[in-house]
Amino acid sequence: MNTKTIAQANTVSLQGLKKWVLIGIALAFLGLFIVIPLIAVFSEALKKGIELYFAALTEPDALSAIKLTLITAAIAVPVNTVFGVIAAYAIAKFSFRGKNILVTLIDIPFAVSPVIAGLVFVLLFGSQGLLGPFLEANDIKIVFAVPGIILATLFVTFPFVARELIPIMQEQGTDEEQAGRILGANGWQMFFRITLPNIKWGLLYGVILCNARAMGEFGAVSVVSGHIRGMTNTIPLHVEILYNEYNFTAAFAVASLLAILALFTLVLKSVVEWKSRKE
Amino acid sequence: MGITIENVSKSFGEYLAIKDVQLEIPSGDFIALLGPSGSGKTTLLRMIAGLESLDSGKIHFNGVDYSNKPVKERKVGFVFQHYALFKHMTIFENIAFGLKVRPFKIRPSKQEIKERVYDLLKFVQLEHLAERYPSQLSGGQKQRIALARALAVEPEVLLLDEPFGALDAKVRQELRHWLREIHEKLNITTIFVTHDQEEALEMADTIVVMNQGQIEQIGSPDQVYHHPVNAFVYRFLGRVNEFCDSDNEISYIRPHEIALKKSAQGNSVPAKVLHVHSVGSLVRIQLNRLDTNALFEAEINTEKYQEIGPLKKGDLLYASFSNLVVFGNEQKEPLTAIL
Amino acid sequence: MFNKSKPHRVLPAFGLSMGYTIIYLSLIILIPVAVLFLKATTLSFSDIWQTVTNDRVIASFKLTFYTSFVAAVVNAIFGTLIAWVLVKYQFPGKKIVDALVDLPFALPTAVAGIALTTIYAPNGWIGQLFEPIGVRIAFTPIGIMIALTFIGLPFVVRTVQPVLQDFDRQFEEAASTLGANSTQIFFKIILPTLFPAILTGFALAFARALGEYGSVVFISGNMPMKTEIVPLLIVTKLEQFDYAGAAAIASVMLIFSFILLFVINFWQWRIAKKHQVA
Repeated sequence: MNTKTIAQANTVSLQGLKKWVLIGIALAFLGLFIVIPLIAVFSEALKKGIELYFAALTEPDALSAIKLTLITAAIAVPVNTVFGVIAAYAIAKFSFRGKNILVTLIDIPFAVSPVIAGLVFVLLFGSQGLLGPFLEANDIKIVFAVPGIILATLFVTFPFVARELIPIMQEQGTDEEQAGRILGANGWQMFFRITLPNIKWGLLYGVILCNARAMGEFGAVSVVSGHIRGMTNTIPLHVEILYNEYNFTAAFAVASLLAILALFTLVLKSVVEWKSRKE
Repeated sequence: MGITIENVSKSFGEYLAIKDVQLEIPSGDFIALLGPSGSGKTTLLRMIAGLESLDSGKIHFNGVDYSNKPVKERKVGFVFQHYALFKHMTIFENIAFGLKVRPFKIRPSKQEIKERVYDLLKFVQLEHLAERYPSQLSGGQKQRIALARALAVEPEVLLLDEPFGALDAKVRQELRHWLREIHEKLNITTIFVTHDQEEALEMADTIVVMNQGQIEQIGSPDQVYHHPVNAFVYRFLGRVNEFCDSDNEISYIRPHEIALKKSAQGNSVPAKVLHVHSVGSLVRIQLNRLDTNALFEAEINTEKYQEIGPLKKGDLLYASFSNLVVFGNEQKEPLTAIL
Repeated sequence: MFNKSKPHRVLPAFGLSMGYTIIYLSLIILIPVAVLFLKATTLSFSDIWQTVTNDRVIASFKLTFYTSFVAAVVNAIFGTLIAWVLVKYQFPGKKIVDALVDLPFALPTAVAGIALTTIYAPNGWIGQLFEPIGVRIAFTPIGIMIALTFIGLPFVVRTVQPVLQDFDRQFEEAASTLGANSTQIFFKIILPTLFPAILTGFALAFARALGEYGSVVFISGNMPMKTEIVPLLIVTKLEQFDYAGAAAIASVMLIFSFILLFVINFWQWRIAKKHQVA
C-alpha cells in the first residue's frame, strides 16, 4: 500500500462521495415513492388496534370480496397461462410473416387504459350493448355480474405470460426440440420433456405477475362490476367503497391484504430470478 | 518512451496475478509479452496502461514515476482484444474521439481534427470507411480502425492486447506484417500480448516469456528459441519431444533437430514409423523408439523425405538425438511425450 | 428441395398453436376493441367532434397528457439514476431495494391510490410539510403526477438496468486511454448507449400513465376542468349512461395508445435488428 499517494487518496474519496450521494438520492426517491406508501398502508390499517383490523377482514362483505377475487384469479390465471405458453410457442419457434404485428396485438392490453378494457365489455354485453338484447332475452347476465369481472380480468392480464415467455423461447431457439425430434420424440414428448422444462422459471415468473394483476385489478373491474356489495365486489373494489364511506381504517385493513400479496409476489419473484440465474 | 517496471505485484482477492515483476523496456522497442492464459501478461499490460492499480512496486515512464498517474494522462495508445470500437459512433467519430475530448485549450480545431483523422485513415488504408459504423466492418478492418484510433492521440507507448486473437489465419498473417511496418515507420515503444509463440517470434524485437505471474525469460526471439533458460520456455516456444532416462532426468529435443536415416549410424536409435503426415513443405513423422519404447515426433522437409521415403506404417528408421537439452534444476514431472 | 412458398417446419403443431392464439386473441381482445370503435361510429362525425372538443373533455385530455409527460420525464431521470446505482455500486440492502423497485407492478393501483392520498393529503405525513408553504399536493395536478410517477417507476429502471449490466467496461477503458475524463465518458459513451433503453422506458411509463385510473382517482380530487383525467371522464359518461360519448372519448384515447404502442414496438424491432447486425 506504500504506493498510494495523497493525490490518489483524494480521488478515491471523491469517487466514494459521488457514490454515496447517488445512492442517497436513489434511496430517498424510492423511500418517498415506495417505502413510505407501503408503511402508510399498514400503519393506517392498525391505527385503531388489531381487533378492529381483524373485524374489518372478517366482516361478511369483506369475506365475499375475498372469495370473488380468488375465484376470478383461479379462472383468469390458468386460462391466460395456457394461452401464453401456446402463443409463445407459435411465435418463438416458427418463422412466419406478420410476427411483429401479432406480438404488438398481444401487447394491446398493456397499452389500453383499464377503464377502456372494462368499457369494451359493457359496450358488448351491457343492456345497451351489441349483444345486450340477446342476453336479456335469454336471461344471461354478464356485465354487472361475475362473468363480466372475469372477462375484464382476462383482458387486462392477457399478455403477462406470453410476453415473459416469447423472448426466453426465442433465445433458446429450436435446436433442442429438433434434436428431440430426431431422437424420436413425438410432439407431446417434445413439448413436455424439452420445451416446457426449459421455460419453467420464466413461466413461473409470468404466472406470478399475472396473478398479482388479476387479484389487484381495479379500473377494468370497477367499470363492469356495478359495485354490488356482497355480490360483485372484489377486494380492490371493496377497498374503494370503504374508503369513499370514510371508513379509512377498514379500507386500509383490507388494502393491507393486497399489500401483503404484493410483497409476497416480490419475494417469490426474487426467488425465481435467483433460481433461474443459478441454473 | 522507455518504461521501467520495478518489483510490481498485483493480486485479485486471493489470486496472485503478478509476482514481483521487473522489466526494463527501452524506448522504441517492439516487445511481446508471451505466455499461456493466466500467466499475468494481460494484467501487466493493463497496469502499464493504468487500467489496473499496483499493489506494490513502481512503473516509470522515462524515469518519471507513473505508478499513480490516471489513465487519461499517460499518453498510451491501447488496442483492445475485441477492439472496443464505440458502436454508436461512425469510424470517423471513433478516431476523432481522443482529439475531441481534449481540454478546450489544447483541443485541435475542427478542420485539424478532420485532417488528422483522414491522415490516419489513409495510413491504415481505410479512407472509404469514414462514415460507416463499426458493425459494418470486418474483423481485420476493425483491428486497423482500433489502431488508428489509438494512434490519433499521438501516444508515446502503444499497447495491444491479443491484437490478432479474434481474426482468421489469413488476415492475421497480413496484419502481422502490417503492424511490423507501422512500428518501423513510427518507431514508438510497442508492447503486445499474445499466447501464440509464432506471432511473438515473427514480430517482436524482444520477447518476455511469462508464466504464473512471473517472467521466465527476456530475450530476442533467437535467444528465447535457441537458448531457453528453462524447460517451461523451451516447451512453450515450439513443438518438443520429452525423454525420461533411467535417472528420471528429462531431456528435450525439437522435432526438426532429430536426424532420420535409413541405416544405423554412430549412436543412432532404431525406431518404428507409426504415422506420416505432410503439412505443406514439411513432413511430420510419429515414431516409436525400439530401445525405450517411447513415442516421439520428427519433422523433416519434403526433399529430405524424398531421400528416405516414401514411408509407411511399420517401416524401420534410425534416429539420432544429437541436440538433446537437459535443464538441471528441473522438478520431476510425470513421464509423458508431448507432441 | 422444399417448396419455398410453403416452408417445411420441423416442429409440430404450428397450425394448431397459431390457430388457437389467433382465435383467443380475437375473442378476448380484438373483437371487444373493435366493438368500441363500432359504437363510436354510431354517432355522426359532428357528434363525435362535439363530444371530444367539449371544453371539459379538452381540459381532461390536456391534463392527462401533461401530467403523464411530467411523470415520465421524472421517471426517465430518476429511473436511470436508480438503475445506475443498482448496477454500479455495492451497498447493504441492495437486493431488497432492487426487489422493491417492482412494487408498483405488484401493488394494486387502488391500494397505491389510497396510500398516496393519505400521505400527501394536507394533514398527511408529507402533505403537512408542504401545507405551511402553501403547496398542496393531493387534489391538485401535482398529486396526479405523484401517482403517475409511482406507477411508472419500474419501467425505466427495468429497461435501463440490463443494458447497463451488459455494457462492457472495455468501452469505458478505451475512452479513458484516449484521454476522456469520467464526465466525458458518461455523456459521450455511456449515455448514448443507454439512450434507446431510457427512451423505451420513458415511452412505456408515458403510455401506462395515460390510461392509469386506480391510483389517480383518489388523489386527484376529480374536479371537472381542473383535476379530471380522461379515464375518469369515461367512467363519468358511463355512469350517466352516455355510452356513445364514452365510446367516442375512449376511441380517441385508444388511437393515441395504439400509436404509442406501435412506435415503441417498432423502435424495439429496430434495436433488435441492429444488434443482430453487430
